[in-house]
Amino acid sequence: MTVTTASKVQGGIFTLMVVRIADPYDPALDRELAEHVALSPGFFADAPVVLDLRDCLGCTSAEDFTALRQLLRRHRLVPVGVQNASALQLRAAKAVDLAAFSGAQANGARRAAPEVAPRPRLVTQPVRSGTQIYVRGGDLVVVAPVSAGAELIADGHIHVYGALRGRAIAGAAGDRDARIFAHRFEAELVSIAGRYLVSEAIAPEHLGAAAQVALIEDRLAILPGWSKG
Amino acid sequence: MGKVIVVTSGKGGVGKTTTSAAFAAGLALRGHKTVVIDFDVGLRNLDLVMGCERRVVFDFINVINGDATLNQALIRDKRIDNLHIFPTSQTRDKDALKREGVDWVMRELRNEFEYIVCDSPAGIEHGALTALYHADAAIIVTNPEISSVRDSDRIIGILAAKSRRAEKRESPVEEHLLLTRYSPERVKKGEMLSVEDVKEILSLPLLGIIPESPTVLKASNTGMPVILDPASPAGRAYEDAVARFIGEQREMRFVLPERRSLLRGWFGRAAS
Amino acid sequence: MSLFDYFFPRKPASASVAKERLQIVLAHERSGRDGTDFLPRLQKELLAVVTKYVAVEEDMIRVSLGKAGNASVLEINVEVPHTAKPTPAHAAPA
Ligand SMILES: Nc1ncnc2c1ncn2[C@@H]1O[C@H](COP(=O)(O)OP(=O)(O)O)[C@@H](O)[C@H]1O
Ligand SMILES: [Mg+2]
Repeated sequence: MTVTTASKVQGGIFTLMVVRIADPYDPALDRELAEHVALSPGFFADAPVVLDLRDCLGCTSAEDFTALRQLLRRHRLVPVGVQNASALQLRAAKAVDLAAFSGAQANGARRAAPEVAPRPRLVTQPVRSGTQIYVRGGDLVVVAPVSAGAELIADGHIHVYGALRGRAIAGAAGDRDARIFAHRFEAELVSIAGRYLVSEAIAPEHLGAAAQVALIEDRLAILPGWSKG
Repeated sequence: MGKVIVVTSGKGGVGKTTTSAAFAAGLALRGHKTVVIDFDVGLRNLDLVMGCERRVVFDFINVINGDATLNQALIRDKRIDNLHIFPTSQTRDKDALKREGVDWVMRELRNEFEYIVCDSPAGIEHGALTALYHADAAIIVTNPEISSVRDSDRIIGILAAKSRRAEKRESPVEEHLLLTRYSPERVKKGEMLSVEDVKEILSLPLLGIIPESPTVLKASNTGMPVILDPASPAGRAYEDAVARFIGEQREMRFVLPERRSLLRGWFGRAAS
Repeated sequence: MSLFDYFFPRKPASASVAKERLQIVLAHERSGRDGTDFLPRLQKELLAVVTKYVAVEEDMIRVSLGKAGNASVLEINVEVPHTAKPTPAHAAPA
């Protein structure tokens, strides 16, 4: 008498490609994938891939993954799972039947400050009222004006080579040595490592000229020009 | 237990923020502990009209997200005792006003203040619905023109259907009509709907008529609620409206073109 | 505009046109408000009942909710054709 089983579990080791996703909706992603696949189309044809989300703040809903899956399918890649996903990302991934690959830590630990400081983020367009720019673990350099009602946040320094009329929050993760530099200082609010000054509390003589803000003996100091402080 | 007043209209630019600032200031001037809240997430303006934009550190969304306490975010008005301003966020979108967070904030404010004035954003989407949800009373700000009246009618319908009071089947939200930017001269010429027209169409009790006046722009330029300007007809009209709101009898002013204005036009220019 | 026109306007001023237009559009919009959204269904069901007895077309039944003083009035108009024929099934009950 033979017993036929409907399934049989067997171990297997596969090499999977990992695609690192920063922003699932970034149009550059489409182009970059196309370039990669074009290099060796045969190799990539219907290849299973794992999505590495260590740099990704999005991908928190099932819709995000569905969109991403469609994008990958267009390049004949088959997403099978995720890696380094946050709890929220993991939940969304599971909702669309993507597996969790090891290396995934369902907590915030993976976001700890990287060993090597990343390149500063460079912004060349005016930062308008209502926009927020956050640089995690690094510096922010803006070579355009920052309007009142805009918000710059960086874990490192903030440099504005233009008028700073909005808010600037440096050392957002607690770095007390972070500074804010503005070519034309007219900020609504400045903050370093949680200490802050509102514009009303800023002496008028500091306004309208180049200035830097530093945390000195637990107080925010506004230093005219580029002195060493 | 505080009373929540939503200032709403459907249409934008009719004078909601101007009214919220004037009303909150008026109530506080009469000794009532009052807070005025900006619900217009992403289009913060109340702070400018109240003249406290240079003192905003934390906002509504920070409090909802637990980044700041309510007391850290509330700004105490420097001119008027009993008056507090609760600014909104400029950098988030309207959906950041999470239901549970807003519920909690409103509960806290009700315990702390006599009047909670909510400046609603325009439209009938999330922000506007969130602003009107907790209302005990509503001030429907309407201009005497066709699209504003229609939008007010729409918002009155929504108020009756979607407020917390409607949901919980409590007594309905108290509704007051406030006609703003009213120009008696243009009504007389037949270019604008009259008080009677609007009252008849919307069938709401009239809380007041605020005349169109350049002093409103002047007040907002200087960051002062117009009710504080003793020379402003709009300020006086707001004062009347606040008095009526808390039950006093006041005769309607500014309904007719100034009687003598024509004569003054001919003879009295130097005097005026 | 002369002073005469100012005191005795001859043409209806634009505001009164506005008022009329508003009253019409609002009457229509209010009928769609919560609580009255049963009207289309009511109309359909009435039609189903009426056509059992009289041959009428869909657009011959009109249901509307209006106001008379403080009361809401539900108005149902059924237009019966002059030569109204009873629906065959009910002409001679079996
Ligand atoms: N009574 C009035 N007279 C003249 N201008 C007014 C009056 N009320 C409001 N305004 C002006 O109308 C514009 C819109 O007012 P605002 O209160 O911001 O409206 P909302 O909040 O409804 O968008 C502002 O420029 C304001 O100065
Ligand atoms: Mg407004």
